[in-house]
Amino acid sequence: MAVGVASSCNKTDNYAAPSSTITGSTVDEGTGQTLQTEIGGGGTRVKLLETSYSANPVPLYFQSKQDGTFNNTKVFPATYKISVEGPFVPLVQTDNTGTVVSDSSQTIVLKDQATLKFKVQPYLRVEWVGKPVINADKSVTVQVKVTRGTNIPAYQLDVTNINLYVSNTQYDGQNNYDPRYSTLTSYGGSTGTALLGQTITITTTGGALPLQDAYFRVGARINAGLNQYNYTTTASVSF
Amino acid sequence: MKKFKYIILFVCIAAGITACRKLNIPPKNIIQDPDVFGSTGGVQAYMARLYSELPIEDFRYSPDMGLNFFWIIKPTPATTGEALSRDQGGSSSENFGDWHWDVWGGNYTTIHDCDYFIQTLPTYAKNYTQAQVNGWLGEAYFVRAMTYFALVKRFGGVPIVNKVLNYTPGSDVADLKVPRSSEKAVWDQVASDLDLAITNLPEANADYGDGSRANKFAAAAFKSRAMLYAGSVAKYNKITLFDNDHNQVCGLQASDAAGYFQKAYDAAKMLDGKYSLYLAQWSATDKNAQYQNFVNLFSDPASKENIFVREYQYPNSVHGYDAYNVPRQLMGPNGYSSEVNPTLDFVEKFDGLPKNADGTLKTLDASGHYLLYSNTMDIFANAEPRLRASVILPGDVFKGQNIEIRRGIYTGSAAGGISPLLPAGSKSQYPTANLVVSSTAGQTAYKLPDGTLMNPAGLSGVFTGDQTCAISGFSVRKWLNPNLATSQVLENNETQTWIEMRYAEVLLNKAEAAAELVSLGQTGSINTADPFTIVNQIRSRAGADLLVGAGDATIDVVRNERRKELAFENKTYWDLRRWRIFDKEQNGTIYRVLMPFYSADAGKYFFDQRTDERNNVYNYDTRWYYEQIPGGAISKSSNLIQNPGY
Repeated sequence: MAVGVASSCNKTDNYAAPSSTITGSTVDEGTGQTLQTEIGGGGTRVKLLETSYSANPVPLYFQSKQDGTFNNTKVFPATYKISVEGPFVPLVQTDNTGTVVSDSSQTIVLKDQATLKFKVQPYLRVEWVGKPVINADKSVTVQVKVTRGTNIPAYQLDVTNINLYVSNTQYDGQNNYDPRYSTLTSYGGSTGTALLGQTITITTTGGALPLQDAYFRVGARINAGLNQYNYTTTASVSF
Repeated sequence: MKKFKYIILFVCIAAGITACRKLNIPPKNIIQDPDVFGSTGGVQAYMARLYSELPIEDFRYSPDMGLNFFWIIKPTPATTGEALSRDQGGSSSENFGDWHWDVWGGNYTTIHDCDYFIQTLPTYAKNYTQAQVNGWLGEAYFVRAMTYFALVKRFGGVPIVNKVLNYTPGSDVADLKVPRSSEKAVWDQVASDLDLAITNLPEANADYGDGSRANKFAAAAFKSRAMLYAGSVAKYNKITLFDNDHNQVCGLQASDAAGYFQKAYDAAKMLDGKYSLYLAQWSATDKNAQYQNFVNLFSDPASKENIFVREYQYPNSVHGYDAYNVPRQLMGPNGYSSEVNPTLDFVEKFDGLPKNADGTLKTLDASGHYLLYSNTMDIFANAEPRLRASVILPGDVFKGQNIEIRRGIYTGSAAGGISPLLPAGSKSQYPTANLVVSSTAGQTAYKLPDGTLMNPAGLSGVFTGDQTCAISGFSVRKWLNPNLATSQVLENNETQTWIEMRYAEVLLNKAEAAAELVSLGQTGSINTADPFTIVNQIRSRAGADLLVGAGDATIDVVRNERRKELAFENKTYWDLRRWRIFDKEQNGTIYRVLMPFYSADAGKYFFDQRTDERNNVYNYDTRWYYEQIPGGAISKSSNLIQNPGY
């Protein structure tokens, strides 16, 4: 019996750990810039379908960084069908019966390293107009412009939210902001949509900011897909 | 190992031990089908198990802890905006996969138990009357419908398994990996199982007629709830997911909405004249009687409003509702209290309060100074009786005590009026100047100008450093047992009955289905006056203001009535989901609270309304309308596809 137990334990897992790398970026096809997103579950993620394992594999996901680039250094070499999901027109489009009508996924045979670039049409493009300005009362005013990133009518829905997020770190967004100073605005009907293309001025709420570095980001969204936000880059001020 | 077998064999032979000759004797220590299905006692035991597994969100449910859990410290109302809890920091999905809640395996175990019962009972039918067999089969269909309902409202389409799956050792398991059906197929399964229950069940359950086991009308009532959910999904859902065979596992076609609303309406109509709103202590002219009537509705076992209930019994099946939710000054020996503190946003939904033009509570006079009151209850003098029966207002009486809720004493001058402590909308802390507050229940009394002593905070809070108190300025009243001695306010000690389905909900289901059908232009087989009539029926019992014109009973009015009537009954959570408005209501939302202060100079109280002082932000994630299928379930059955966004 003792011999049996010992022999059953000496099988080690000798399969090499994954060490291949998938790196790349999600790029706004209109501007050529990487597409800003939210860190964590509310932002862009990369979807891997290991088609060399199964015709119908369980998908693997990994999250994009805030600036729209992604990097995963622990992937098994295999054949993958890869796409990205986030606040932009889906790369895989289905009609109302589930039939795939277009699919811009990329299939790669991963050996050591692969670099991918996905060109996407963001729902909204949120851009700074100038830099944040510190007011006399130590509040901060920013200006932004929100425009559509796509011409597809199905994704030209009403703008529901334009929010100025304030945080004491650069990881600023819907999932991480200081509610005392951030200015959140919801729009009903077409009132938000009427602001498209205009310079929008937003001031922080709650009076003087604490006298420390502050980071700002503006997010806007339409009610499409998983209701995620498109973002500006992060701007900061130092008092 | 082989060697051992030979040794055992050798020992057996040597010792002359022969194998059992008869291998077909049933083992005496395992309960067999004839034991269970052969007698009414056995069937009773089987039913006890089915009902205990029945997935309903009762006193032992919270989104964080799941079903049948005792420790409810992140209560459901604190996820819906009905209330704030010190333990709930924001929006929440349900927490599956933790050790205490196997939502997938648990529900499929129940479905298995129903399938087994439905397959096996007919074999033993000769032991019983046809009525007994039909009744029990009806109950099994009822439990199975409720279980599919519990799954489909969380996940969308799930595998439909209507016969017991058997695994033969050594066989391929591919046929056990049942894929998800379309969401529509599962809703239709719920409807057809409930139809079978309605057909088979008698008007009064033959074994237990007290509402703890289903009858025909209970099945119809739940059908109205389920079909209303399905109709709402068809109309309001925007998330879709298809499998490779074009089954829509998440979402329904918008064209299905009217059909489901009609089913909800028709099912609710079946209860007409069979149940009634509880009015035992009610009087049209006496607000106090209306209040007492609404309180008693939740504890009178003779209530004709109760359609389906879950009963508890010490010590076998208990809960701790009072221990977790009594106001702080009535805290029991376990040291819990005040887990459910209704928000001002919720309180403002009710009638009889002084309001501003925008619907918020009026706390300032025309010149922008605080209105002053001799007692904290004065502002609520004309409050709707249903509000008082649902929420303990600051200063109201419970268990013979005035429930004292005070945020602090304002020591500044009251001459010329007291200006707001903070600018409107400010999320900052209160200023420290001119305010005396208390960080814990161990208070140091403040000497008022007339020489009397007063604690800075009330006995039930609000304390700045100890959130075991009325952090919103209110405490929950509904369900609390006014006759439970404080020494008995303990965890795992409460036994008041949970009313899972009452007639008020059925009426509101009918009103909402009718209002939806009107909005879809499908008025052929409904009474279009129902929404108006029903809302007024509910409001009249509640002591609220009645609607004036039939046109006032819009979908939003019916919904709002439902949220007031069924508050703190774990229903609003599911309503906000099916209306798909959770993400709109909880969109960077900080709920509002009402803080009573005492002005030492004026000798009167004033109220400050502000956002939750903890700045807890509620952001509902749109993904949660379809919950994440537990990873363990997918690992076991790779045919299950995950919901979007996970």
